[in-house]
This record gives sequence, structure tokens and C-alpha cells, in this order.
Amino acid sequence: MSAVWRASRAAVKRRRLQTIVIGLVVLCSTTTVLLALALVSAASAPFDKAFDRQRGAHTVAAFDLAKASETQLARTARRPGVEAAAGPFGQTVLEMPGDWLWMSAGSVTVVGRDGPDGPVDRVRLLEGRWATAPGEIVVAWPVDGSPGPGLLGTRLTPRGAPALTVVGFATSMSRSAGAWVSPEQMRALHPADAQMLYRFTGSPAEEQLRTGLARATAELPADSLTASQSYLTLKRAFSSQVDAYLPFMTLFGVLGLLVSVLIVGNVVSGAVVSGHRHIGVLKSLGFTPNQVVAVYLTMVSVPALVGCVTGVLIGDAAAGAVLRLAFTGIETGSASIGIGPWPSVVCLVGMPALVVLAALVPALRAHRLSAARAITAGSAPRTGRGLRVQHRLSGTRLPRAVSLGLGQPFARPGRTALTLAAIVLGVTTVTLTTGLTSTMVAYANVGESQGAGQVHVQAGSPANDQKARRLSDRQTEERLRSLPGADRVTARALAKVRLAGHTETSYANFFRGDTQDLAAGVVEGHWPARAGEAAVGPAFLSRHGLTVGDRITVQLSGRQTRVTIVGELMAGDSQALDSNWQTLARLAPRTQATEYTVRLARGTDARAYTDAVEAADPGLYPTLTHANNTVTTTVVGFASVFTLLLTVVAALGVFNTVLLNVRERRRDLGMLKSIGMTPRQVVVMTVTSVAGPGAIGGLLGIPLGIVAHRVLVDNIGVISFPESMKDVWHVPHLAALALAGVTIAVLGALIPARSAARLTIATVLHNE
Amino acid sequence: MTTDQESGRRDNGPQVVVRLDGVHKEYGDTKALDGMSLEIRAGEAVAVMGPSGCGKSTLLNMVAGLDRPTSGLVEVAGQDLGQLNETGLALFRRRHIGMIFQFFNLIDDLPALDNVALAAQLTGTSARQARRRALELLDELGIADRGNTYPAALSGGERQRVAVARALMNRPALLLADEPTGALDSRSGEQVMDLLIDLNQIGQTLLLVTHDRHLADRCASRLIEVADGRVARESALEPTG
Repeated sequence: MSAVWRASRAAVKRRRLQTIVIGLVVLCSTTTVLLALALVSAASAPFDKAFDRQRGAHTVAAFDLAKASETQLARTARRPGVEAAAGPFGQTVLEMPGDWLWMSAGSVTVVGRDGPDGPVDRVRLLEGRWATAPGEIVVAWPVDGSPGPGLLGTRLTPRGAPALTVVGFATSMSRSAGAWVSPEQMRALHPADAQMLYRFTGSPAEEQLRTGLARATAELPADSLTASQSYLTLKRAFSSQVDAYLPFMTLFGVLGLLVSVLIVGNVVSGAVVSGHRHIGVLKSLGFTPNQVVAVYLTMVSVPALVGCVTGVLIGDAAAGAVLRLAFTGIETGSASIGIGPWPSVVCLVGMPALVVLAALVPALRAHRLSAARAITAGSAPRTGRGLRVQHRLSGTRLPRAVSLGLGQPFARPGRTALTLAAIVLGVTTVTLTTGLTSTMVAYANVGESQGAGQVHVQAGSPANDQKARRLSDRQTEERLRSLPGADRVTARALAKVRLAGHTETSYANFFRGDTQDLAAGVVEGHWPARAGEAAVGPAFLSRHGLTVGDRITVQLSGRQTRVTIVGELMAGDSQALDSNWQTLARLAPRTQATEYTVRLARGTDARAYTDAVEAADPGLYPTLTHANNTVTTTVVGFASVFTLLLTVVAALGVFNTVLLNVRERRRDLGMLKSIGMTPRQVVVMTVTSVAGPGAIGGLLGIPLGIVAHRVLVDNIGVISFPESMKDVWHVPHLAALALAGVTIAVLGALIPARSAARLTIATVLHNE
Repeated sequence: MTTDQESGRRDNGPQVVVRLDGVHKEYGDTKALDGMSLEIRAGEAVAVMGPSGCGKSTLLNMVAGLDRPTSGLVEVAGQDLGQLNETGLALFRRRHIGMIFQFFNLIDDLPALDNVALAAQLTGTSARQARRRALELLDELGIADRGNTYPAALSGGERQRVAVARALMNRPALLLADEPTGALDSRSGEQVMDLLIDLNQIGQTLLLVTHDRHLADRCASRLIEVADGRVARESALEPTG
């Protein structure tokens, strides 16, 4: 074994460049694959784990106490199919008149429970203690982490109810309430509803949940069930943003995996194929065929292992940032977002296995090769295929250096095919990314003021240590409109609302004024023009299982109104709907707008405008709007990272191929130089040898990239792109992309080509 | 320099094709050439002999412009090679030098005809013209019928003839041969020797590097013996071919 180890170590030392290439390719490939796997892992597992840990409710149901008694409700826990149940708990909705804690004014669902534990929905207390006496309340913290103890003791003053002191913060994966009070306090609030929490046997799907709830409530009076929320909705909501990114992350992951497999296979098998003379020497020294195989497997495994471990470390480090970006703004509850161990394990086991497998095939060929033949051949014998092509090329009018280069790929068709495949995938990725970037940039520019500035004005809030504005809502709008440079002014009021049938948090934006820019974002239907109309993004529709034309009931400040979804926006929050001032008038007519967006006329000095706003009312806080589109940033960011990685991997693959070819053809190169081939001609010949496959790769990769782009933009769940944004392909753009394959090939070939040009002829010719 | 060397210099007569003057070549601490000076005139056939490591191959590399001296002058066909960069040397070799190697150094992927034509095609000659000239050369060397055969299917002697044809393709001023019969059986070796003699007889200047005294005796008119990187002895030979 020591002889094998010594020979392997010597081979690694002697082939430093090749060793570095193997290590780098495996490193980049491992990082790419790990990032893709990390997102897939994070998208599902954390919710399931946290949900199971808290024995989350499969269904959270609300019942009208006027129709079903608490005794009747308690009996439903013993119905067939119900594995466990908790409740009935009194449930009511409190109206918060102004901003409270970190939230805006609106409704909050409060449930009366005597403790956080129970057979179902074990609420996790994050800060403080549970509410045990009247006047105490525990507020739900929606995201990972904790608000800290600083806000404990805050007094809340809901409309029409006694003041409540915050004694704790808690989190529920079931999203069963926005806050909890003691049962005694709940009785004092005179709840109209009661909450039941059910767990059904197994991991029920949507249909089983419906059946289970129907069986559980079969004995209750009709219409007593007022709302129910499935845990599947929560799970979908949890991963809605990730689901949006998942198609393209998966595609990039698959592309990365394919390129990695191809390049690793090519690099590793090339290392073995090019070492045939070395194999002959080893055999002549008395190495057994198995020892020769062991030497070669060890030789490629050492850099591969180093590359793999480094790739996993880099991937693990980068995955944190990638996941934080992907889960921005998602109510993760107590589910911790992080990369699980399995992607790293898969990479640590899979990548070296792939490398060994790729090396095994040529190594086994080396196993069978006779020592004499190996020494004579120097490298693996050429198959003779493609010789006719070389002959034909030599008769063409092309410069000889070019025709020689074009013929080289035919000498090693297998290696050429692998390199070509890597270039195709590289070009596919570049095409996909450029298309995706064009689409996302077009999307980000919608509603932008086409060169003119945009100013966001916030009314000051004393709760945030700001001055209160002197002007009323309407006066503010008028003043903003009258200031020099104002073109369009939109006023917005944001409210936390409830949607009938849903216990989770929702928000509503009510707009007034010049809403043309907002209307431009509607891809289906129209912008809400009349009272009782709303427009929502695709994420809202999929989260709530709705389509344009459906009606929902929006509750705010103790009132409710039916709202028709009349338009689908290109994008939007999965929890928010956009409506107009007329709809707000039905729900909370005294609500004032607190935010204003001013589009400035072209040529207006935005800074002068903001100064004028501040001068008009020191209680108004203007800021220049900068395009800050999370989805655009995320998609373009991910795409760029993967493109960079895959392009580097593909270029490294080409680099390796050319390096191997140059090594194998050292004698030919020496001879060609001896008969007068200039260094420039050597570079031209060497670069041309991969430019051909590069050009073909470009032509094949472009249509694949276009198809991949279409598949992706049709499946990014949080955005509905109009056709104009999907049609991003133009002739100059495509022509530039056609060069991508050649560029990748030339980039990879340039360094070995220049080293070939500098080859010392005398040494080569006399040593070979 | 020895007296023999002094006698080898002729002030009048054919043009000097190769001139080395005080050429030194060092590889680290090793001196491959140690102040070598010599001249070869047009039409001469010169054999260089000496023990392994004496500097024969280094001398050949200097003359072919494949390697550069540490110091001293190397002038071939009136051109000081020290003045040329890599591209200049390549263009110079293309125009003035033909090389034959012990192991032929043919491109395995090309048939004999394309191997020969290659040298002309690199200069920009059209494929048709280059092939026509290559075929003429193969015909002159008696292997025209092997033009479409790949090197692997040729005998050693045939391969070396193809290599000679390739070397002559651009009508070089100087033909350099490095152990041209070293890898051949005696019969093929004799055929290649005959070929070299014929070429010299029609005016081709020849510089042979060899271990083989028989080759030197048959093909060369002058023998330069090299030892420790210097010309140790120079003598005229009476070709026996």
C-alpha cells in the first residue's frame, strides 16, 4: 500500500496544474449543488419539524356560540378520526385604533386559554409569562427569534374593550391566534365564537381534512362552523416565497449538477487517459493492475476530496445568506431556517463517489493495458475516427492553423462530446440568466417614473418619536399636489384586516388619488375602480386558493364588506390586497392616509421637492424612492451566482480539455513549430480546437436557454409576467448570446494555448 | 581551435550558410556549448559526431533556431538568429530550414500527403498547390503510392522518407538531420542514406548529427567531432556513397 501511496503522491506533485483543476472543478460543482439542495431542504423540512414539535393543529375551527354550545363543541373531540383536540376556547376580535407594538392599526383575533400547553397547538412562550389574570395579554410573535423583553408591560387599548398589559410573547405554528388572554378575561370580553383545535390521524391531505372536520362536526347544528383554517394553507404560506424561487433554483441546481457531472467525469477520466505512459512505467516496475488502478483513483481522489470539503464549507457559509434572502418577510414562527445536514452529507458522499466512478472506467482500461503498449502509446490510442474529417479539412481554403484546430476535436470524440455538453449547458445558463435579468429589470421598471423622480412621504407618528403632522390627510394630499414639480400623487392607508374563514394575518392597502401607475401593474382584469373591488398578486391568489372574479369578506373595525377580486397584479404580498378609498369608507370611514407617493414631473429637482415638503409641514417625512424590489434582487442575484459558478465550471472543463490535448500533442506541437508554425498560429490552432465545439454549443444552448427561460417565468409563483416581459429575445441579443459558447471556450483555452505557444521545441522533440 | 578547424575555413568559395562564433549555452550549471565556432558553406554535407552529452543536439537546436545561445553569434543563411523573436524564428525556419528527426515526428492523424503538404500550407500556400508539390516530392522519393496512407501503416523507412519530403517542402537552404537512421533497420537506413547523398549531390546543404560513423562516412564531406561543448576536431571526409 505504501508503494501505491508513494506513487500517487508523486503523481499528484508532478501534475500540479491538473490536480488544481480537479480540485477547483469539484469545489465549484459542490458549492453549486449544495446551494440548490439547501433551498430544497429549507423549503419543507423546518415547517414540518416545528409543526410536529408543537403538535400543531391540522385544522383550526371557529364556531358561533349562539348556535353550538361549549358542551357540544367539547364532544367533537371524541368523534371518529379525531386523534386529539383542544378547546373550546373563547374567541373574539379586538380592534386596535392606532399602531401597536410593531403592528399597524386593525383587527386582532384573541383566544382565551389557561396555558400554552395542551394536547394540540402547544404554544411556545418566547418572553415573559402566560396571561393568568384579567387585564393581561400574550401577543403572538410571527417570525423566528424573539422581540426581547423590552416591550413587556406595554399597555394596549383596544376599542370597546378594557386596557390589556402585555405579559408575554409567544409563537404558534398553527397560527391559532394573534393574542391570548386568560379564560376569565375572555369571558369578560363576551366572545361570540369559540375555537377548536383538531389533529386528525396521520398526515392528512386537503380532502381528508375536509372529511375529518365534517365527521367531527357532524352532530353540531348547521352553520355553527364559521371559519376553518387548514395547516396545509399555513405550510403553503410558509414556503410560498421559496416555492416561487424553487422552479428556477431547481433548474439551476439540475444544470449545475449536470455540468458538474460532465466536467468532473471529463477532467478525471482525462487525467487517467493522459497518463498511459505513466501506467506503462508503473507496470514495468512491478505494480499489479489493481495497484495501478489504486494509484490513479488515489491520485484523483485527493484533490477531489479537498475540493469537495472546501466546496461544502463555502456552500454552507453561502447557504445561510441565500436562505435568509429567500425567507425574507415570511412568518416562519418557531421554525428555524437553516441548512440541514443532509445536503452537506449528500455532497460529501456523492461528489467523491462521482469522481471515483468517473475515474474508474478509464482506470479499468488502464488495468487491462499491457505495459509495453502503454509505454509506446504515451496516451490512450486514438480510435482513428475522424481521420477522414482531418484529411478533408486539410484540403479546404482555411488557414492551416485553423483547419488543424478544427480537426482536433475529432481525434478524441468522447472527450469532445463531454466538453461540448458542458459548453451547451453553460450557454443555456447564460441565455437563461440574461433572459431572466431582462424580464426582471422590465418588471422592476413598471411603475417607475420613467426618468422622473419619485418621493415617498410618511406622516409623522409621535409613537415613533416623530412630530405629528399639522395638516389633515386631505390637506396633506392637496399640499403635496400643489408643490412645484408634483405630477401625480397617490395616498395610501394600510390596515390589518381579517378575511372571513381565515385566522392568519392579512393586510389591506387602500389607495386614493392618481393610481395610473398602480393600474399599470395589473396583468389580468382591471384596477379596483368601484367600492367593493380589490386587486391582488399571484401569491395572494395561490395562498388563499382564489382566482380573479372570486369574492371574499374583509373585516375591519367590527365591520365587514364583500370584496370582489377584479384584477391580478403582476406581483404582490401573499398576505395583502389592494383596494380603493371607497372600499375603505365602507369599513373604516374615518381612517386617514398616512403615506403618499408623489411622482415628479420630468426635470424636477427631487431634493428641492423634499425640502419644500418638509417646509410645508415638519410632521411630513419625505424620502426619495429607490427601486428596491426584493424579488428582482433575489432572482437576479441567485441567477448571477449560479451563472458565475457554472460558467467557471464550464470554462475550467474547457481549460482541462485543452490542457490534456496540449499535453498529448506536445510532440506534434514541437514538430509543427519546428517546421515554422508561429506562436500566433499555435494559439489560433489551439483556440480553434475548442472554438468549434464552442460555436456549436452556443447554437444548441440558446434554444435550450430560451425554453428554460419561458418555463421559469411562467412558474415564478409570486409574479405574473405579461407577455411583453417574457418576450425579451431580439436579434442583437441572440447574436451576442451565440458568442457565449465561443467565449466560454476561448476563455478556457487561452491559458493552455499560450503555454503551448511557449513550448520549448527542442525539449519536446528530443524527449518524446 | 585546432589546426584542423583553421583549415576548414575558406575565405573564398561558396557562400557561408551557417556560422557559429563563440557560442555558449548553459543550462543551469551545465555547459552544453562552450565557445563553439564553426562555418558550413552552401552545398556541404557536414556530419557532427561525439559522445552523448557533448553538445551535438544543442548545436543542432541553435542552428535550427529551436533554442537560443547564452552568448555568441549564430548566423544562418545570413541571418543573425539572436535578432529574431519567437515569431521571427518560426518564419525563418519555415523559409530556410528543413528538419529530419530520429523518430520522424509525423502527425498520426494526417495521411502522408497531408503531413508533407503541411509545411507549405503553414506559409499560406493553397491546399491544392501544396498537395501537388507534396505529391511531386513523394514521387521523387519513390513513395507516391503511399500518399494517402497514415503514418501508423507506413514502414520506418517510408516514414522517414515522408519526413524528408516534408523537410524539403519549402526548398530549405539547410537540411538538418538528427540521427536520421537511428530508428531504422539497416536496409531502411541505407535507403535513407542514399536519399541524403542524392540530395547533397543536387546541391542541398546538409548538417547531420549522428552517432553512426558509417552514416557520416557515407553521406558527409566533412566531419566535426564535438567534445565538452567545443569543436574538438574537424576533418574532411571522402564520401563513400
